[in-house]
Amino acid sequence: MDQTVTINKDVSIVAYYFRSGTKRLRCFPKRMEWDGKQITFTETGLRHPTRKGQRMVHIFDMTDGNADYRLEFDAEQLTWTLVSISDVSYSQTFAPAYA
Amino acid sequence: MPKVSKLHLPLNIEEPQILHIDLNSCFATVEQQARPLLRGKPVGVTNRNTEYTCVVAASIEAKARGIKVGMSFHDAKSLVPDLVMVESDPPKYHFVYQKLVDIMRSYSPNITMKSIDEGIIDFHNTRSVINTRDLVDIGYEIKGRLKEDVGSWMRCNIGIAPNRFLAKTAAGLHKPDGLDVINHKNLRQTFSGLALTDLTGIASRNEARLNAAGIMTPLQFLEAPADVLRRQVFKSVCGEDWYSRLRGHEVDDQEWSTKTIGRQYVMDNLRPTEAMVRSRLAYLCETTGMKLRYKGLAARGILVYARYASGDYWYGRKIFKSTFFSNAEVHRRATLLFNQRPRDSFEREIGVSCYALEPSNLDQVSLLEEVNKETWLTEAMDTINGQYGEFTITYASSLGAKGTVKQKIPFGTTRYFELLCNRA
Repeated sequence: MDQTVTINKDVSIVAYYFRSGTKRLRCFPKRMEWDGKQITFTETGLRHPTRKGQRMVHIFDMTDGNADYRLEFDAEQLTWTLVSISDVSYSQTFAPAYA
Repeated sequence: MPKVSKLHLPLNIEEPQILHIDLNSCFATVEQQARPLLRGKPVGVTNRNTEYTCVVAASIEAKARGIKVGMSFHDAKSLVPDLVMVESDPPKYHFVYQKLVDIMRSYSPNITMKSIDEGIIDFHNTRSVINTRDLVDIGYEIKGRLKEDVGSWMRCNIGIAPNRFLAKTAAGLHKPDGLDVINHKNLRQTFSGLALTDLTGIASRNEARLNAAGIMTPLQFLEAPADVLRRQVFKSVCGEDWYSRLRGHEVDDQEWSTKTIGRQYVMDNLRPTEAMVRSRLAYLCETTGMKLRYKGLAARGILVYARYASGDYWYGRKIFKSTFFSNAEVHRRATLLFNQRPRDSFEREIGVSCYALEPSNLDQVSLLEEVNKETWLTEAMDTINGQYGEFTITYASSLGAKGTVKQKIPFGTTRYFELLCNRA
């Protein structure tokens, strides 16, 4: 299994970038402040909306070149949550969570 | 005495109007798209984060190193030690599916999704919409739009042909990013480079049937007379279907109605207690009830089965006079059957399936007060769960399974995709 650490903490997105989409301008996080660190994203993986009941949240899969970050934007509360971090040192030796 | 087939068809010479799109290694490619650090690495997607699982999708890099879909986790890991296994994430795949549907629908209203990662655009009668553009141009445009709308790592195979079968065959010719056309001019040439098992629908058993009749290659299959295929090879009308299909005539344009609705689950514990088994059964019954109502159906029959660690298999089924659709009724009737099962060994897999389906009459108020109460309770529960997410309120009997039993990716059909994604 890959090494994914669940965080589920509110974070601050301090910089954004914009890209033109097929219909409108699309907005993506560029820099995140979390745990006293600043993380600058270098690439966007996938942005997809998903529902939590009737609430719509947007999932952003981002990378800074060293790790993959999963961010969740609550379009109702306008909050950002860092859901998980997947480390680049993918498990060569299998170390499952249930062991 | 079987009917002798007089069918004699020439090759279909019409201009290809069917475009088949196939996102190869879809789930693994979407994971690589979402997580750039996985790109170029062998990736396997699994349904559950345990040791006793199997690969449900493998990336192109993993396939190149011998990983096959369905391979057990241990086999895959021993073959490719640096294989990265990730757990499936259906909302992600649903997003890509929806994007693919949007792209396809912008060309023709006549589209059919064969599964999450496969779709067909039928351009018959819609040539004026696309201004008689060449389908090859449209194919390349679709590839570009997929990269633009989803991400740069996304690739798809496109096949263009006069019928669905040949279009799918064309889509499989140059994986993972091909675009091929099969028409009456290059049909024989294309078949000459294929083996029988390269044809969709021909696996080892059908190959053995064909070999027994002296048919060893797709070209010989194409040249075989209809009555030989019907009487000698397939011994049914399937032989004539194959005869037409191989010549480019459409026989697969059919919609099938839902016959059964159910769920199954491979136990997450090798020595499950009675309470564990029952909680998982209750959970399966709840999801079965949800599926029934999602499709607007009610059932009269129910089947419950268990597969044991000893290898034994048991099932019980019963058909009732009255229809049922609520979670509680599915659970009650399934439990009545489940209580009759032998208990000589540990359950390895359990399943529930409803059959004898008919449209539910939820709007019809019953003369019986208890039936109305059950209907209203079910509707209230569905409303709350629709508002706050599935399983926000649930039966106490299935609490032990909540969070453990996860919805698998629907491989064959996309009928319950919306329902599944609402649960995330």
